[in-house]
Amino acid sequence: MNLDWSVVWTHRQALTHGALLTIGLTVLTMLLAVPGGIVLAMMRLSHQPLLSRASLAFVEFFRNLPLVLVIYWVFYVLPMTTDVQLSPMSTAIVALVLNVSAYNAETFRAGINSIRKGQLEAALAMGMSRHQAMAKVVIPQAARRVLPVLASTWVSLFKDTSLVSVIAVADLAYSAMQVRAQTFRVLEMLTAMAVMYWLMGYPQAKLVDWIHRKYGVKE
Amino acid sequence: MEFDFSPIVDNWRFFANGLGVTLALSAASAVASLLAGLAIALLRLYGPAWLRPLWVFYIDSMRAIPVLVVLVWMYFAFPVLASVSIPPFWAALVALTLHIAAYAAEVVRAGIESVRPGQTRAALALGMSRAQLLRKVVLPQAIVRMLPAFGSILTLAIKDTAIATVIAVPELMHSAETVAGQTYRPAEIFTCVMLAYFCILFPVTRGIDRLYQRLAHLGRS
Amino acid sequence: MNASSTAASRRHADQPTVLAYEGVRKLFGDFVALQGVDLQVHKGEVVCLIGPSGSGKSTLLRCTNALETLDGGRILVDGQALPANETEVRQVRRRMGMVFQSFELFPHKNALDNVAMGPVTVLGMPEAEARQKAMALLDKVGLAAKAQNFPANLSGGQQQRVAIARALAMNPEVMLFDEPTSALDPETVGEVLSVMQRLAQEGMTMVVVTHEMGFARRVADWVVVFEAGAIIEQGPPAQIFDNPKTERTRDFLGHLGWNG
Repeated sequence: MNLDWSVVWTHRQALTHGALLTIGLTVLTMLLAVPGGIVLAMMRLSHQPLLSRASLAFVEFFRNLPLVLVIYWVFYVLPMTTDVQLSPMSTAIVALVLNVSAYNAETFRAGINSIRKGQLEAALAMGMSRHQAMAKVVIPQAARRVLPVLASTWVSLFKDTSLVSVIAVADLAYSAMQVRAQTFRVLEMLTAMAVMYWLMGYPQAKLVDWIHRKYGVKE
Repeated sequence: MEFDFSPIVDNWRFFANGLGVTLALSAASAVASLLAGLAIALLRLYGPAWLRPLWVFYIDSMRAIPVLVVLVWMYFAFPVLASVSIPPFWAALVALTLHIAAYAAEVVRAGIESVRPGQTRAALALGMSRAQLLRKVVLPQAIVRMLPAFGSILTLAIKDTAIATVIAVPELMHSAETVAGQTYRPAEIFTCVMLAYFCILFPVTRGIDRLYQRLAHLGRS
Repeated sequence: MNASSTAASRRHADQPTVLAYEGVRKLFGDFVALQGVDLQVHKGEVVCLIGPSGSGKSTLLRCTNALETLDGGRILVDGQALPANETEVRQVRRRMGMVFQSFELFPHKNALDNVAMGPVTVLGMPEAEARQKAMALLDKVGLAAKAQNFPANLSGGQQQRVAIARALAMNPEVMLFDEPTSALDPETVGEVLSVMQRLAQEGMTMVVVTHEMGFARRVADWVVVFEAGAIIEQGPPAQIFDNPKTERTRDFLGHLGWNG
C-alpha cells in the first residue's frame, strides 16, 4: 500500500472551491427555507382548511421522502413536466429548499404551539388583533424556542448538501471524488474529503450544542 | 405529454428485488444502530471514565460528516487500507450503522437522563443495586420516552439506504436509476419510486406516533 | 333556573347596567357549561361569582370578552349586544380589563413594558407617554421599584399585581378577574386582594370569579352562586353567607368549612 498524500495539496484549489460551494449552498438554502418554513407554518395554523391541508400535505410529503430521490426527481422530471430547464445548481437548490422548508415548517409550528394559549388570550383580551398578538407576543417567544432546532437543522443541511454530488454539482464531495477518479488516489482523497467535512462540521456541531445550552427551554 | 408506465411493469421483478434490499438494509442497519447506540450510551454514562472522550469524539464526528462520505469511504477506501474487498451491501450496512449509531447513542443518553433523579433515589432507598436500578426502573421508563426518537431512527435508516445507490447497492433507488437510464422514462419511474418510498415511510412515522400515545403513560414519572 | 334576586337590597340597582347576560348558553361538545344564565352587573358594583369547580363561572367570564363564543342567548355591554365580528369585538375588549389565574405576563418584556404594551399597541399611544402612565399604575399597585424587572424575577403576587396594572392601563369600564389568587402562595394572596379591594373602593365595576370567600364577604356588593352551569342563588353577601336561601348554597359553603 503506497500512499501519496501530496495529491491532496496539489488539488487543494478544487477541494477549496468545493468546500466553499458546500457552505454557499447551505447558506443560500437556509436563507430561502426559513421564510419558506414560516409561510408553510402560517398556512398550517390558519383557519382556512384549504391552506391548512395544503401545508400539511406538503410537509408530510417532503418529510417522508429521501432527499437524494427528491434531487433526482427535480433533476429528471421537472424539465419534462414543465418547460423549465434548470441548471444542476438550481436543481440542487430547489430540491434542498423544498426539503428543508418542510422541516422548518414543523419546527415553527411546534414553536408557536408551544407558547401557552393564555399568552394569546391575554393579548386578545387587551384588544389586540390576532395579527398584533402573534407579532408582539407569540412569535417573539417562539423565536427563542425555535433557534436551537433551526441550528440543528442547519447542521443536517450542511451534511445533506453532499448529496448534490449525485447530479454533478461541484461541491466538496463531488470535487473530491473527481480528483480521486483522475488520480486513482482513493484512500488519500476520500480520507481528505472526510477530514475536510469534519473540520467544517465539528465546530458547527459544537456551536449547536452551545445554542441548545444557552437557549434551551427549561419549563 | 404521454406517460408510459410499461418499463415499471416490465421490470417489476427487478424493482421488487430492489425494494427487498431496501427493506433488508433498513431493518438491519436500524437494529444494529439501536443496539450499538445503546451500548455506546451505556458505556459513556456508566463505563470507564477514560474512554468517555472517545465516545464523545465518535458521536460528534458523525454529526459533522455526511453519511454519503462514510458510505463512499467504507466501500472504496477501507478496502485499500485493509486489503480486503467488501460487497456493496455489507459496506453500506457497516457505514450506515456507524453513522446512525452515533445519533442513537445520543437518543439513549437523553432518554436515560430524562428519567427523574427521584426515581433513582427511590430505587436505591429500597435497596436495589445500580444494575437492578438501571434494568428495572430507569431503562423501562427511558425506553418508552425514546420511542418517538427510535421511530425517527428507523425512518432515517430507510432514507439513508437510498444514498447507498452511489456505491451500487442494488436497492430501490438504484433499481430506479438503472431502469430509467435504460428506458429513458425517468418521469414515470422516479414518480412511482417516490410514491413507493412515501408509502413505506409514512406508516412508520404514523405508527410510531400511535404506539407512543398508547404507551406514553408508562414513561411518565 | 334562577333564584329570584332581592332587588330591594341591591345597592347599585339604580346605576346603569354595564353588563347584561340574557339566557347565556355555552356548550363544549356535549358538555353544557352554561345553561341559560341571566345576570346583570351595574356600574360601580363588585360582583363575585362563586361555586364549585366546573360550574361555569370562568366560562361566563370568558364569554364576556368573547374569548369564548356563545351557543345561545346574548351578552349586552352598555346595552349593546356583543358583536360577532372579530374587528368589532376588539373595540369592546378595549373597554374591559381581564386578569388571569396564570397572570400571563409577557415574559419577554419587563414589568413597565408589560403595562405599557396595551396603550402602545392597541391605543397607538406614544411610547414615552405610555411608559409614564405605566409607571404611575405600577406605583398604584405598589411595584414602582420593580418596573425594570422581568416576570421571571417577580414573585407570583408581584406578577399578578403587574397584570392588574396592565389591565388598568387601558382605562377599562369593567375589570374581569378569573380566579386571580388561585395560583398564588398563601402569603402573597393578601397583597393582591388588597389591591383589588382598593380598586373596588375607588368605584371600579368588577366581576370576580373567586374561591376567596372572605374577600367576597367583605368586598362584594353582589354574590352569585353557580352550580352545574346555572345560577342557584344570587344576592348581597349578607344573604349568601349568613342566610343562604337554598339548600345547595348551604351545602357548598358547608363543604368549604364556611362558618360565617
